[in-house]
Amino acid sequence: MTSISRIGPSCLAVLFSLHAIVLISCARLPETTRVIHEDERVVVVMETDPDFSPYAQSTPTDIPPDQLNRLLHGFSVRHISSIPVRFLGDERPPRKFLREREIEALVPVLQEALQKVGPRERIRFEVLSPGRNPRYWRDVTGGWIKVRNRYFHLQVDYFHVEQPIRKTDAYDPYYPSPPTPERNYAVYFEPQNLFVVDPQLNEPAVDLTRFLESTAP
Amino acid sequence: MMTVSIDSNETIAAEPPQGPAPEGMDPVTKFLLDDALAQGRISKQRYAALVRDYEEQAYERQPPYKIWYERGLNLSTNDNAFLLRIRGRLDVQFVARSRNDAWRNPGDGKNFPDIVGVFGDYRVVRSESDATTVNLRRARLYFMGHVFSPDMKYYIQLRMDSASESSQTQGSVQLYDYFLLNTMLPIANAQLGQYKVYFNRAQINSTASMQFTERALVSDAFTASGLDRRDIGLTIMNDEDRFPLNYYAGVFGGAGPNFTRLGNFESEQITQGCPGGQQPPTTPLPPGSASCTDPTLNPNNTNPLQRNLNADTRIDVNKLMYTARLNWNVMGRPGYGEGDISYSTKPQFAIGGGYAYNPRINTSTNNAFIGVDLADLNIRRLIAAGGNGRQLGWGVVDYSTWAVDTVFKYRGFSLQGEYYFKNVNRRDKGPPCVQFVQPVAGAEFICATQAPQELGNSFGWYVQSGYYIIPRYVELAGRYAYWDPDTNAASDLIKEVDLSLNWFVNGTYDHAIQLTFSNIAMGTGGYAIGRSNPMPLVNQGTDIFPNGPIPVDARGGTLVENVIRLQYQLFF
Repeated sequence: MTSISRIGPSCLAVLFSLHAIVLISCARLPETTRVIHEDERVVVVMETDPDFSPYAQSTPTDIPPDQLNRLLHGFSVRHISSIPVRFLGDERPPRKFLREREIEALVPVLQEALQKVGPRERIRFEVLSPGRNPRYWRDVTGGWIKVRNRYFHLQVDYFHVEQPIRKTDAYDPYYPSPPTPERNYAVYFEPQNLFVVDPQLNEPAVDLTRFLESTAP
Repeated sequence: MMTVSIDSNETIAAEPPQGPAPEGMDPVTKFLLDDALAQGRISKQRYAALVRDYEEQAYERQPPYKIWYERGLNLSTNDNAFLLRIRGRLDVQFVARSRNDAWRNPGDGKNFPDIVGVFGDYRVVRSESDATTVNLRRARLYFMGHVFSPDMKYYIQLRMDSASESSQTQGSVQLYDYFLLNTMLPIANAQLGQYKVYFNRAQINSTASMQFTERALVSDAFTASGLDRRDIGLTIMNDEDRFPLNYYAGVFGGAGPNFTRLGNFESEQITQGCPGGQQPPTTPLPPGSASCTDPTLNPNNTNPLQRNLNADTRIDVNKLMYTARLNWNVMGRPGYGEGDISYSTKPQFAIGGGYAYNPRINTSTNNAFIGVDLADLNIRRLIAAGGNGRQLGWGVVDYSTWAVDTVFKYRGFSLQGEYYFKNVNRRDKGPPCVQFVQPVAGAEFICATQAPQELGNSFGWYVQSGYYIIPRYVELAGRYAYWDPDTNAASDLIKEVDLSLNWFVNGTYDHAIQLTFSNIAMGTGGYAIGRSNPMPLVNQGTDIFPNGPIPVDARGGTLVENVIRLQYQLFF
C-alpha cells in the first residue's frame, strides 16, 4: 500500500516534467500581424509566414483590380476528404472558388494587401456571408495568398464552411463552440498551363508573368 | 515592388471568364453565356451581372425549409423562425483500475457509501484489487433549437448512460436537461427549466469539453445544491459573448433534477410529533418521549406502530435554493471549455466566483439511527453519490457553498483552478446523542453517549494545466485535486492526481480519444455518524439497535486507486 500511495507525487513530477518539455518545444501557428480590412463581408489580415526563409520571402506586388479580378476567376477548388472516398467513386468536379459578389468585395482590399505585405508575412483573407442559421453561423470562404517573385500562391482553408459566430454554442450554453479548423482542398487554375510549380517552395502557383502575357492584347 | 498589369480592358471583355460554372448552373447555360460573350452579343459587365443574378437567385430556388448537417442535424425554416438541431453523443470508456488492500477492508463507507433498501441503510463499498470494465460512460441525445425567433431557445438532453458503480440496476433513460433560454435582452437572458446551475467553473463546463475523462472528485462534491449539479429553476444572466463582466442569479427548487422538496419527507408516527420508523413492535424507539410510545404493549415503552402505518411528513418544504455567480473576463473570452483548443493568439484570462445557499436538506435522522427513519432516499443517495457521505445522519442542514475560480489560456497553454468551501450548518446544535438508555422500564430514554465530535465544514481545490503539443489536435494535461470532506476530522483527506493525453481528431471537442491516468488516495479516518465508534445503541446489554457494534472503520488505512480510462467520444 505504501508503494502504491507514492504513485501520486511521482505522477505529479512526471507531469510537470513533461509540461516543461512541451512548453519549451512551443508549437506555433501563424499569428495575425496587421489587420488590413475587417467588416461583415471581408476580412484581410497579414499573418506570420511559417514558410519564411531568405529565399522564400513574400514580394509586395501591385496588380491592378481588373487583372486581379480575372486572376481570382481562374481558381476552382475541390475538397479532399480525409477518408479515402475516391475508392468509393466520389470524385466530384472542382467548384468555382469565389462568387462574383465575393470577388467584387475582395479585390480592392486584396490589392492593397498585396502592395503592403512584408517579406515575413502572407495574406490571410476571408469572404463572409450569412450561414444557414444566420444569427449564429456564417459562411466562410478563405485561405491565404503569398506572392513570391512571379509566383502567386493560393491555399484554400475554407470553402463555404460554416463557422460559429459565438465562442459558446448558441443553444448549448455549457458547450464551447471553437472554430472549425482548416480543411484540405485541392486548388486548380485555368488556364492550367499557367499553374506551375514554384521551384523554391515546391508548391503549385500561378505564374503571374505568363498569366499577364496570355491576356495581353 | 513587383508591378504587373495588362493594357486593354477590351480584351478581357471579349473573352469569357475562365473557371468552372457558377454553383448550380448547368454546363449548357454556361456554354451559351460564354458563347454570347465571345461573339460580342453581351458585354463583360452584362455577363457578370447574369452570373451574379443566377448565384443570388439560388436562395429563392430553395425549398421553404433547410436541412443540413453542422455539428448536429439541423432542420430550419427559411425565415429562421424555427430551428431543430438533433445531436447525439457517445462516450465509450474502457476502465482498468487497481486498488490497494484497504479497498477490500475497510473499504469506503464514509464518502461514497452505497445506500440500499427502503430504509437507506449504509453499505460499505469494497472491492478486490483489479477491475476492468467497458461502459457507455455518456450516452446522450439532444434536441435543441429555437421557436418563434432565434431568441427563444429550447434545449433537451436525454441521458442513457451505463449505470454507475453503486447502482444495482441497469441504466435507464432520464430527462437530464429541459430548459428554455430567452436571449431577447442581452443584459438579462432568462433560462428556465432543469439544467446545470451556473455556480462553479468545472460544473458549468460540459463533460464533452474536458481535458480529462472525468471531473475531479472534488468538483462533484461542491455543487451548488450539495446534491447534484442540476436543478430546476430560473437563472437571469447577461450574454457571456457580449459583456466582459458576467453575472448569473438563480433561484431553484434545491432538490436536484427531476425532483422536488415535496418528495423529501420525514417519517412520523401517527401521533403528531413523534419520530416514526419501522421496527418490530417490541423494540424501543429512541429517543422517543414517553408520550410517543405505547406502554400497554410491554413493560418497555415501545413503538406502537406496525410497518406501513407511519406517516411521511413534509416539513419546511417552502424553501428554495439561491445562487449567484460573477465572472470577469479580464482578457479576452476564455469561456468554460477546458484547454486552449482554439489556440488563442491573445492571452485569455478570467476570474470568477459563486455562492449558493440551499437550506433545509434532510440528511436523515440526527440521532444516528439512520436506517430506521423513512426520510426520502433520493436526497440521501444524491449526497452519497457526490462523495458527501460523511454529511449523512446529521439531521437537517443548511448548505452555504462558495467557489472561486480562474482560468488562463494562451497559444495552446491553459491553466485553471478552483477553490471550494462549504459551510454545513446543522439545525440541531451540539453533538448528537448516539447511545440511549432507559433508566427504568417505562421511563423516557436519556442520552448516555454523544458523538465525539460534530460535523465540520468542507473545502477543496484543484488546479489543472494543459498544453497542445500539436495545436488544436493533441494535448497533454495534468491535474491535482485536494479535498477535505470534514474539517473536524483527521486522516480523511482525498487527493487526486490525473494525467491525460488527448487527441481531438477534428480539431474540435466533438471527436476525441482521451487516455487518462488517475491516482486517488482517500483517507478513511474521522468520525462518520452511524459508521464510526461509538456506534448507535439503545439499552446496552439488552438491545443493540439498529446497527451492530463494529464500526466500518475498525481497520483504518488509506484507500488508493490507480485507474486508466481510455475514452472514445463522438459528439455528432
